[in-house]
Amino acid sequence: MTEANSLNSVLRKRLEESETMLAETGCYDGITTLECRDMDPLKFETIHMKLRAGCVSAREIARRISASPGVREVGEMVAAIYTPEGDAVAISNGIMVHVHTMSRFIKWMIRNDYEHDPGINPGDIFANNDAFIGTVQVPDVMDVVPIFHEGELVGWAGAVCHELEAGGITPGGDVALAQERFGEGLFICAEKIGLNDRIRRDYVIRCERNLRMPIYWILDEQAKVAACFSMRDRVLELIDEIGVDFYKRISKEFIEEGRRTQLARVRQLTVPGTYRSNTFYGHVTKGKPGFQPLGDPDWLYSIPLKMDIELDGKIVVDFEGAQPWGYHSMNCTPAGMDGGMFVTLTQHMNFEGLVNDGAWLATQLKLPRGTWTNPDSEFCATATSWALLLPAYGAFQRMLSRGFLARGFLEEVFVGQVNSPMIEMGGISQYGKPFGIAHFECAAAGSGALAIKDGLDTAYVGWNPESDMGNIEIWELDMPMVYLGRSILPNSGGAGKYRGGNAFMSTWVINKSPEVRIVTSEHSSRVFDNAGMCGGYPAPTCQKHRVVRNSNIYQRVEQRRPLAHSTGLDQNDLEQFYQGNQQIIEGPHIAAPMKEGDIFTHSYNGGGGYGDPLERDPVLVLDDIIQGHSSQIHGERVHGIRFKGTIDDETLEIDFSQTQKTRKRLRTERLQDAVPVMEWYESEKDKVKQGDFSPEVLKMYRAAMDLSEEFAQEFRAFWQLENGFAYPQNEQVDLSNE
Amino acid sequence: MNNRQREEYRLLLDGQLPWPQTKNLMSSYKDRDRFFKILEIYQDKVEWDEKILLPIGEHLFIVQKGKQRIVKCSCGHEFGDYRKNWKFQAVLRVRNTVEDLEGIYPHADVCDPSWMEIREFICPGCGTLLEVEACSPGYPITFDFCPDLEGFYSQWLNHPL
Ligand SMILES: [Zn+2]
Repeated sequence: MTEANSLNSVLRKRLEESETMLAETGCYDGITTLECRDMDPLKFETIHMKLRAGCVSAREIARRISASPGVREVGEMVAAIYTPEGDAVAISNGIMVHVHTMSRFIKWMIRNDYEHDPGINPGDIFANNDAFIGTVQVPDVMDVVPIFHEGELVGWAGAVCHELEAGGITPGGDVALAQERFGEGLFICAEKIGLNDRIRRDYVIRCERNLRMPIYWILDEQAKVAACFSMRDRVLELIDEIGVDFYKRISKEFIEEGRRTQLARVRQLTVPGTYRSNTFYGHVTKGKPGFQPLGDPDWLYSIPLKMDIELDGKIVVDFEGAQPWGYHSMNCTPAGMDGGMFVTLTQHMNFEGLVNDGAWLATQLKLPRGTWTNPDSEFCATATSWALLLPAYGAFQRMLSRGFLARGFLEEVFVGQVNSPMIEMGGISQYGKPFGIAHFECAAAGSGALAIKDGLDTAYVGWNPESDMGNIEIWELDMPMVYLGRSILPNSGGAGKYRGGNAFMSTWVINKSPEVRIVTSEHSSRVFDNAGMCGGYPAPTCQKHRVVRNSNIYQRVEQRRPLAHSTGLDQNDLEQFYQGNQQIIEGPHIAAPMKEGDIFTHSYNGGGGYGDPLERDPVLVLDDIIQGHSSQIHGERVHGIRFKGTIDDETLEIDFSQTQKTRKRLRTERLQDAVPVMEWYESEKDKVKQGDFSPEVLKMYRAAMDLSEEFAQEFRAFWQLENGFAYPQNEQVDLSNE
Repeated sequence: MNNRQREEYRLLLDGQLPWPQTKNLMSSYKDRDRFFKILEIYQDKVEWDEKILLPIGEHLFIVQKGKQRIVKCSCGHEFGDYRKNWKFQAVLRVRNTVEDLEGIYPHADVCDPSWMEIREFICPGCGTLLEVEACSPGYPITFDFCPDLEGFYSQWLNHPL
């Protein structure tokens, strides 16, 4: 790049100017007055509505072109319109996570002088799935096309689909076993993949030769490009109607209004101050095949968050004290962190007004360098970053909810999102051909409870506000497995006055395939990676995988004997119904390939609870038992309910007077069993000083203290440890895989 | 606040508001003076007289007591200055054995107590479970929320504190 070229980069200069204007005026691109809106508020809204409708209909067009059940069936897609500088003006529904990640992608091309090389021309198509440029994880492939009006760049249209196969070290999109970037699969790094409105043939060939299931990716490319063209047409039609100068002005005012709306919403719905939360995530792979010796087989992360709500309405979220990035696929780039923040805000704050990059401008993320939130090595893998993102933004939701509660908006209080472990698979399909797919029924976990009612059962994930598990029959078309059942997991929501939403479990038999490799990810089996609020408990960890290899299911079917459709309440139905090699696998399922006749179960997460479980309405408890949402023992132990009659003869009812007595007794027992916090503190202090913890816990503290002096100081101050206190390097941590 | 609205918010607080009305509250424009309306209802519900300044939990409030601003439970138990973490004045039950954890998680998989424990912060006055922490052994107690009370009243509410 010559200096002259660089100076001539009009677009880059424009981007820098826009950023300077924001810094100087505090308003997006220096838009201090909303002239278009003040002139004609109705027209202002109407034009935004047209752009938004353009995005929504583009997404629907794409869903009908796509071959992937991820896009068609569960809607893993989003479409948006951007300014020339890459700021989102209007967005569709769907995986809104990506509105700002695409923005980063466009800005990255501008900053890297794409204007000169490879050039930005009418008819060009650019694609990216590199999280360090701008996306969340390798399967999130985005396409953008420039919008030119009479030779002038007036904006961009962009679309993202979550691909079901990325060609990595493990099949599927969330490439669980990648320990570095180099195992994650096919990377498209801000590449010009098309000219003159056509995707290049050599690009398609590269996809065909590097993916296990290229049809999903390639048809999704066609779908996204069609969506982009549709949005481009809409913008150009609109420009014909209102004039290019007016369009350029109003599209920026939309963003500035979005920014102001976000600040106003914070001032309206919350209370200023300092909020804190934390959550944890544990990873267990010791002894499993596929382990690579770069990182620890088992590890524990703490995820502390601090949120300041400032008096102007700005939200500042600080990840100080986070764990270092690691040799695993769960790291996240700042783009991914933005995405998590953005999709959460659109659900809690931007439910009215204009939804665009303005909301992002009214917030700030502090992501300490070197942590999993902002890795200082671009070799690190991010293919399953949701494993840490979801717990982190669940904690963010609880902090926001504390603000809603304090302000009196009880109906907005929400205990938050949870992880929802994914299944990825590959091998030989039921059609006798190689295949690979991510099973997206995980897009329907249990939600956290609300402050006024139970959470949603099997109907919520943080990353897509329109959660959907998809139809069984569609998934069966695309994978060599037949469902034996999809059932509610009783007691899987966290307990509380209002319980978290329950999760579900699926049970399959591998069918018509000699080889299916199943890898699951985003399991935190040894710690709860979610939490309750105001006395509610976290949801339990997901149930372990229960597997029967070489089962006798086909004989049972032939003999017309009954089948088990789940693991049952006591988790032993498979053993009772089927003969074969029974296995129980904790955490991610990383195992030898399976085949026809093998049975496999997988369960998703429930949400955290809200309020003291002893305050739960007994009628709700009874109703849960009758509906199969919880067990009678749960009602007795956790909620202090006393029953009369039995569930089997349909005479079960509540003994209200005994229940009242029991609850009173349980409160008294609580006070007898509990100790004053200061007493506990004194007895705990020594243990902390000695570092009397499991190796993983000790390593977690040491890592956080090494990386963050602020965390170290807070930790020392809390436990009254001497200045400079540190845990010595512990040689006992077993890094081997034996 | 008219009687109909008072009744609606009272039901909301008690989790008794029918879903169509709740949905309507969620989807329509938020009332600007909700804060004071809800405070009024909370104040009616508690049996003590100190003025509620801010709710911070299902049972916890910051109240004005003489010249002090303290955290107080709905039962009347007092936890001291709101700028200090009320949890230090609570009583605590820690679940750090599998057996103890299974008391709360029957028929479900629990955390490994060497990696994570459950801390139950309980009101010494009424035995209500106020907050649950799920964290590693040795993790400092979390101070969930320290509001900017002065800024909130003077700049956001335009109301004397
Ligand atoms: Zn109390």
